[in-house]
Amino acid sequence: MEIKEYVRPSSLEEAYQLMRTRHATPLGGCVWLRMNAKPVALGVDLASLDLDYIRDTGDMIEIGAMTTYRSLETSNLLAKQYGKLFPEALSHIVGVQLRATISVGGTVAGRYGFSDLNTTLSALGAKVVLYPGTITDLATFIAEGAESPFLVEKILLPKGVRGAYQQIRITRNDFPILNVAVAWTGSAWRVAVGSRPAATRLCHAAMQMLGSDPCPSDQTIEAASMQAAEETSVGSDIRASHDYRKAVLPVLIRRALLEVRG
Amino acid sequence: MIVTITINGKKESLQIEPGDMLVDTLRNAGHVEVKKGCDTGNCGVCTVLLDGKPIRSCSFLAVRAEGHEITTIQGVAEEARRFADFLNREGADQCGFCAPGFALTVIAMKRELKNPTEEEIRHYLAGNLCRCTGYESQHRAIRNYLEADHA
Ligand SMILES: Cc1cc2nc3c(=O)[nH]c(=O)nc-3n(C[C@H](O)[C@H](O)[C@H](O)COP(=O)(O)OP(=O)(O)OC[C@H]3O[C@@H](n4cnc5c(N)ncnc54)[C@H](O)[C@@H]3O)c2cc1C
Repeated sequence: MEIKEYVRPSSLEEAYQLMRTRHATPLGGCVWLRMNAKPVALGVDLASLDLDYIRDTGDMIEIGAMTTYRSLETSNLLAKQYGKLFPEALSHIVGVQLRATISVGGTVAGRYGFSDLNTTLSALGAKVVLYPGTITDLATFIAEGAESPFLVEKILLPKGVRGAYQQIRITRNDFPILNVAVAWTGSAWRVAVGSRPAATRLCHAAMQMLGSDPCPSDQTIEAASMQAAEETSVGSDIRASHDYRKAVLPVLIRRALLEVRG
Repeated sequence: MIVTITINGKKESLQIEPGDMLVDTLRNAGHVEVKKGCDTGNCGVCTVLLDGKPIRSCSFLAVRAEGHEITTIQGVAEEARRFADFLNREGADQCGFCAPGFALTVIAMKRELKNPTEEEIRHYLAGNLCRCTGYESQHRAIRNYLEADHA
């Protein structure tokens, strides 16, 4: 990776101003950025901004942008809130070593099609905080992006949400063919589909069909799973065809819904 | 720019470019026991320990190692030799190219997880690819190595 000029600021404000005034590129985990052949003219390293944390603020959970996947996967705090959701969503990604470097902020900012984390966060109803303080619904951010330059500071997660994650891959550590996450928020269901192969989208009609009943019947779950497959646009790529994705999608959603409903 | 990194217990000041990956910095400094494999973060061959935790040195900026402790396979040579005996007994080491990264990951796992289950072992090691063994012999070796401590 070529970084022509490197700065490691000690405040978010400094990092943001470098992005605004000099088109600096924020450096997250750099696991993805480094694959880009294009040199980085000015790299602004986010490593010294104290953005590596997972904390309980009372009414929500905050995750700093430089928190790694490995921290999410091994966090007792997240396990207490969301059970095995994070380990299940992330432990298929390459290996412990890479997950110890990949950052939450780089993942959200990149809005990658294949992202397992963005699907999980979308289902949980996460919000993304962009410095200096814009709070946006994460699923909307993934769908629409934000005006450049933007600096992801942290993610906010609601508490008391139960979620489940499902995926299908050709081999264990490959990119997913499809990933799905669903959640019961306490008052509504959320259903998210990613790796379509495009980026995560919520299935609004299926969510409406599930309504506000924490224990939907098997028939409602079946109908909502079919609806989610119907309303989600999927495509073909090197890993799977459009038809294959359409066939597998309702199965993954049904499994996830059944897991949360119990 | 100059970074100071403690490598296998010894402080080294190294000249780097800001975009250099740790694997190249280590190899240029003579630590050629750190192997370079896929160079895309996929294979696990370049694994080293950063403050005791495994990372992929091909996907880690060298500048971020400043002030940290890096351990290569040479830094745990005695333990690695002990593990190698178990690998040999199971015929689980063939070309040997993946062995430094693999052994470092096993040693890190042993320190991090107490009595790991079969599933936990497979998960922890899933990122270390081996083109020779088919993994089963490696798993037997790991089991035996972990159990030897409880015997
Ligand atoms: C071999 C390999 C396999 C992978 N497999 C999977 C997989 O199966 N599933 C999966 O979900 N993911 C997978 N990933 C991707 C990974 O999960 C991350 O999404 C990706 O690496 C981005 O995270 P990063 O920290 O490396 O971001 P970086 O590379 O640092 O940054 C990515 C982009 O975001 C920008 N950026 C970084 N931080 C911020 C910030 N705080 N604010 C604003 N912009 C920012 C950067 O400038 C860059 O444009 C894989 C990656 C690799 C290399």
